[in-house]
Amino acid sequence: WFLAWMGLEINTMAIIPLMAQQHHPRATEATTKYFLTQATAAAMILFASTMNAWTMGDWNINQISHPLATTTVTLALALKIGLAPMHFWLPEVLQGLNLTTGLVLSTWQKLAPFALILQISQNTNPALLTTLGVTSALVGGWGGLNQTQLRKLLAYSSIAHLGWMIIILQFMPALTLLNLTIYITMTSTMFLSLKIMASTKINSLALAWPKTPTLTTLIMLSLLSLGGLPPLTGFMPKWLILQELAKQDLPITATIMAMSALLSLFFYLR
Amino acid sequence: MALTSARLLTRTVHEKWICAHSLTLRPLVCINKAAFYGEYRRPGQAQDRTPPWKKIRFSFAKGVQGIRKHFGLLKDEAMERWVGPQGRPLIEHMLEQTRVQWEFRGPESLEQWLVSTDREIGGRSEAYLKLGRNDSACMLYGTLCSTPPRDGETCYSGYCTLRSRQLLSSFDRKKNIDWSSFNTLYIRLRGDGRPWMINIAAETYFSHQKDDLYNYFLYTRGGPYWQDVKIPFSKFFLSSRGRIQDNQHPLWLDKVSTIGFTLGDKADGPFQLEIDFIAVCNDRAHTEEFAYEMYKRNPEV
Repeated sequence: WFLAWMGLEINTMAIIPLMAQQHHPRATEATTKYFLTQATAAAMILFASTMNAWTMGDWNINQISHPLATTTVTLALALKIGLAPMHFWLPEVLQGLNLTTGLVLSTWQKLAPFALILQISQNTNPALLTTLGVTSALVGGWGGLNQTQLRKLLAYSSIAHLGWMIIILQFMPALTLLNLTIYITMTSTMFLSLKIMASTKINSLALAWPKTPTLTTLIMLSLLSLGGLPPLTGFMPKWLILQELAKQDLPITATIMAMSALLSLFFYLR
Repeated sequence: MALTSARLLTRTVHEKWICAHSLTLRPLVCINKAAFYGEYRRPGQAQDRTPPWKKIRFSFAKGVQGIRKHFGLLKDEAMERWVGPQGRPLIEHMLEQTRVQWEFRGPESLEQWLVSTDREIGGRSEAYLKLGRNDSACMLYGTLCSTPPRDGETCYSGYCTLRSRQLLSSFDRKKNIDWSSFNTLYIRLRGDGRPWMINIAAETYFSHQKDDLYNYFLYTRGGPYWQDVKIPFSKFFLSSRGRIQDNQHPLWLDKVSTIGFTLGDKADGPFQLEIDFIAVCNDRAHTEEFAYEMYKRNPEV
């Protein structure tokens, strides 16, 4: 756990200069907010792991068994990746960054916390994971409605997708990994396309079709894939997750997740 | 005897130390807010040390009214989410190229504005705001006096300012204006030939940014004809506490708080400014991102 904590801190410190390189007060604000949240989460991880080592005598990541330590480390990792209800920093931070750094934040910065989440998946509180997952999916859908800034829209999309990943973690971690991989691919596509078009608002997307019709079509398909529409790739993880939830006798949870996906699809389609 | 005199000496030294430092020793509980937040006090004015709980004026009726008002606002916000951004359909947001943000068409429009002058620092300028003829414009008028107050501290005086109030949503949360779809400020006004300064305040995060404003000049023509002023947002430069900053950056339009007009041209006498409306528009021909240099001063070689 100690080395994992060190790795997370180095990861945070490494991206801070990249975020602040724009020398604009909003970029500095985003960097500060990111640093504060990540440092808090890392401190909580260290605290939980130390508490587990003190009570159980074990520093192994996948041997964390004390209930309080497990809950604390789960909440800390949720704060790290921006799961609801610890998501408030993500839209503001993404809005203050340029598209390239936003891409790194949305994709690469999720890998390390997810590596830890996957390792502790067997010892986590199922009710907590379900709550985090459902809340994130709902908040991601609700918050993304009426967003006109593309970076904030992608932030709420990220929150919703993270909810899907977390909810299936306790039953089939492989599906979480699959969902994460597909999410990283789709989000990278979106960010890179928006970077090529140099657009950060939906108004500029509306005017893009005469200038770059191919790229506009690609963006449209990526958005539909993010929304989980068949036969695009983004449908696959959602389908498998709903199927697994149904197999685990959680029809209500599956229904709520499907409804929240409709909310997200609504703002993607607009 | 020697021990007693040594104890007496120590006690005397200790008492002297306490007396010497009694003026600097402050109670730990009361924090001097003025030192933190740069609160301005007129020379000779005593600091307000009333504890916050003594300033409460409890009123049950007012409390109920406040709860009703704020929950009503919250409900409206939740409902307008289903309509579109800022309660308007998305198609309207996508297609709009102009938006009138403030227009003066009735007494309630004046409630959104604050007028202040150097009276707050002891000066003698006056400024008033009223509706113009036929309730179709607002008139800011008054008299400037640049004689500084004789308080031994203030060196300069003679200004007046008209500033919009900060918009508030439910539970007095700050609400910002999103002008990111536009790139030009459009004002229809009628002045008296005096030079004004337009100040735009954006949402800030750090305490050292609380006095940051983005300014540009507004030269008015005197005369009976209305003046249409179009200023691109790329022309606004950053200043803090009235001083232009060396490190310049463009104004980000997604979180604008307030707009203001300041007159401080060191010319004593009456002034007046009529404003019909303040709008924003999207000038497609204007592609400049920022009008000023953003190079690094003193680069390392």
